[in-house]
Amino acid sequence: MTALLEVRNVKTYFYTQDGVVKAVDGVSFNVNRGETIALVGESGCGKTVSALSILRLVAEPAGKIVSGEIIFNGIDLLKLSNEEMRKMRGAKISIIFQEPLTSLNPVLTIGRQISEGLEFHKNMSVREGMQEATRLLQMVGIPHPERRVHDFPHQFSGGMRQRAMIAIAIACQPQLIIADEPTTVVDVTIQAQLLELIRNITKELNTALILITHNLGIVARYAQRVFVMYAGDIVEHGKALDVYHTPFHPYTAGLLGSVPRLDEPRKTRLQPIEGQPPDLIALPAGCSFQARCAYAIPECHKEKPPLLEISPSHFAACWVSQKGSRSWQK
Amino acid sequence: MVSSTNTTIVNERPHHTLWGDAWIRLRRNKLAMAGGIFIIVLTLAAIFAPLITPYSFAHQDLNAILENPSSKHWLGTDGLGRDVFARLLYGARTSLAVGIFAQLIVIGIGLPIGAVAGYAGGRLDNALMRFVDVMYGFPDLLLVILLKAILGGGIYQLFLAIGLVAWVNIARLIRGQILAIKSREFVSAAHAMGGMGPYITWRHLLPNSLGPIIVSITFNIPRAIFTEAALSFIGIGVRPPTPSWGTMISDGYAVIFASWYQVFFPALAIALLMIAFTFLGDGLRDALDPKMRR
Amino acid sequence: MAEIIIEVNNLAKYFPVTRGLFHQQKIADVKAVDGVSFTIHKGETLGLVGESGCGKTTLGRCILQLIRPTSGEVIFEGRDLCELSDKELVPVRKKLQVIFQDPYDSLDPRFTAMDIIGEPLRIHNIFKGTEYRDRVAELMNLVGLAPYMAERYPHEFSGGQRQRLGVARALALQPQFIMCDEPISALDVSIQAQIINLLDDLQQKFGVAYLFISHDLSVVRHISDRVIVMYLGKVMEISNRDELYKNPLHPYTQALLSAVPIPDPAVEINRAVIVLKGEVPSPMNPPSGCVFHPRCYRAFADCPKVVPLLADAGDSHQVACLLYETSRP
Repeated sequence: MTALLEVRNVKTYFYTQDGVVKAVDGVSFNVNRGETIALVGESGCGKTVSALSILRLVAEPAGKIVSGEIIFNGIDLLKLSNEEMRKMRGAKISIIFQEPLTSLNPVLTIGRQISEGLEFHKNMSVREGMQEATRLLQMVGIPHPERRVHDFPHQFSGGMRQRAMIAIAIACQPQLIIADEPTTVVDVTIQAQLLELIRNITKELNTALILITHNLGIVARYAQRVFVMYAGDIVEHGKALDVYHTPFHPYTAGLLGSVPRLDEPRKTRLQPIEGQPPDLIALPAGCSFQARCAYAIPECHKEKPPLLEISPSHFAACWVSQKGSRSWQK
Repeated sequence: MVSSTNTTIVNERPHHTLWGDAWIRLRRNKLAMAGGIFIIVLTLAAIFAPLITPYSFAHQDLNAILENPSSKHWLGTDGLGRDVFARLLYGARTSLAVGIFAQLIVIGIGLPIGAVAGYAGGRLDNALMRFVDVMYGFPDLLLVILLKAILGGGIYQLFLAIGLVAWVNIARLIRGQILAIKSREFVSAAHAMGGMGPYITWRHLLPNSLGPIIVSITFNIPRAIFTEAALSFIGIGVRPPTPSWGTMISDGYAVIFASWYQVFFPALAIALLMIAFTFLGDGLRDALDPKMRR
Repeated sequence: MAEIIIEVNNLAKYFPVTRGLFHQQKIADVKAVDGVSFTIHKGETLGLVGESGCGKTTLGRCILQLIRPTSGEVIFEGRDLCELSDKELVPVRKKLQVIFQDPYDSLDPRFTAMDIIGEPLRIHNIFKGTEYRDRVAELMNLVGLAPYMAERYPHEFSGGQRQRLGVARALALQPQFIMCDEPISALDVSIQAQIINLLDDLQQKFGVAYLFISHDLSVVRHISDRVIVMYLGKVMEISNRDELYKNPLHPYTQALLSAVPIPDPAVEINRAVIVLKGEVPSPMNPPSGCVFHPRCYRAFADCPKVVPLLADAGDSHQVACLLYETSRP
């Protein structure tokens, strides 16, 4: 079965006064129908830019998708015209942004914003669109949807705004939803509500989901496969269980070691990753993680490791890992 | 015990102070630099006027009235035989003096009032700002004319008149800046450390407001210069024999059909100086805008 | 247990909501903090958790008198801080310090690192000349920054390094107590761990007490000795750390803990999450009786009518919930 989405070696660069920022530097991943994958990493790793690249929402002229292919349902999205791409956005692939306050138009009612997509993609009239919007608001758990559909974004709370974003995203029954840090700005109990809702809906509609986050707990609960990103590259990917239990990249292990867990006995000290993330304009030769890696060997400074296979479903980009010694695994 | 790997600086870009950074950006702006250079050259010329021209601004040579530009009088002479070029140079002194000294008064009054209003807030702020609003209601020029008429005198009274009217702008600006900065966390931090109002205002609020204030002053100077010229033109600015571009235009106006350049040269001078300050002001605003720093 | 250094009694902070064109009339109060009492002991870390709108940040600022409370007491060194004037508070502030959340906003962009760290020393006129410079260098070393960076500006440091500057600044006067207001929320995960370890080490070295305010339950569990759970301006539960996480009594605490996913797919695949219904109500219009009852999955008839009191429920474990109230006087 071919994948629904296949991102092949995409490079997205930003051209700034001080140099070229290689935000995404040769990233490949795929998503199967109905599956949930996660792009996980810290700020600056390129996960959001990767998502924006799929939808070709990268701000030009500063940003540019320099090379690669993005094959969706057999079509290379990078080769489509602007007009054709617009037909994709919202209809076949939609996105839920991080900050609903800025992603929603403050002067349009929630109902109109949901029905916008329906009017454009499904040729519905405004009335039909509003009816469908009401139904969608019900689906995402907003009480009294027939009233709230006429409300403006500022009349909604943060959690409800995010639900409205979800409604907009599923309106045209897309095959793929990208959720970019959908719960970072909401409280933990609302986060639980929203993520459970997203999971139920994607299961019901058989929609694929790309979950972008820095939260390792969310990934563990909701994603089947995980792609760990660092400084514009994917450094490890595989089934969630494998990556979490036997990380093959020191960065993944470091991330897991930095996070305190509610269920484990309390460690006396966390194991942070030393140093700080690199400057994307001045990346070192070789592996981008070398400066912070406790296990680096001479090869790491010379050549950037490609993703090497550990098992058919588990890959890691690390020379040390290849050599066999993985002392960071417990 | 403690990790020591935080000894590398993230930004391996050249180390600049904040002013250094602004200066670099200003340098890149050619118009601003041109304006700045013009102002400097004119200031130097005004200061060293006696070295540049042998004529005094008041010396009348009634045998050489309304002469065209020549090698003897570079820009000709006016209706009383005075050398136009010399009067332009000495007139520059007046214009620049007004520009700068009026600003000193503006800052002297406007800054404390704006700072107090911004920091204190509440009723004091309300009262001060209502007063500012009232002053805003009057047309500037008329008010300056009124004040000057009351104060009489010459150039010092002119500084005062212009300053007493123009301070409201700065006051409002500073108050706005301070209100915006007051809510920043480093101000809370200073408070938490035991810093009191005056300390916080002097060391945190004002330095961070400098950018827009400098830009405002740079734009206020040409306005003051123009005001002086306008007042001198209608005869209530500086008094003769103090040279002034405004007076030159006023004198030249009477003989404009005989000798158009009497009006032309001082008007050109005013225009160029104002444009120079405006370019400089624009450049400073861009250079000092923290958001434009990458 | 170690001696008490700070005692908070019935602290409340109400923000009036006014309306009216000429004559401002008060129509309601936002009860940001509504009657909170607890103690802080020498050298301990008291974690304060809750979601947005619960009042934890306001509470922290009220304790330090950065916001003046509406009512209640904050007893430190035998005196009620709420009664002291700003001027009288100045010497007290040497002993009570703050680390703020935003490493980009809590440092004056026009100050060098040396200026920032040394500011408390300058304000209180402690140290001059070489002694001053030595102390700043010592503080920088303590937080893991190289002293040669003292002349640099905040924009030349990374987020984690800037937060270290904030920590160094807070330590400068050797305080007894530091209020940490979400000190790591704005940092990347791997950097968070660095700062947590740093705070831990400094506490062991200097015996400073922390009020650690955060919405991140996992972090609070790691670093705290005791934990307070707040909701809509009131305390729901206070307990020793281990006891709270092993045996949470209040339904809100239970929901809060259940909402945090564990970074382990094997655990998560079988774990059920308690999903609360509804949104956090507005603090302007808090529900009657127990403020949590509209969202509580264990609410019963009395809950909207009676305000539960914070009562003992075991070894230094207190909970404000009618489910555990055995009797009412």
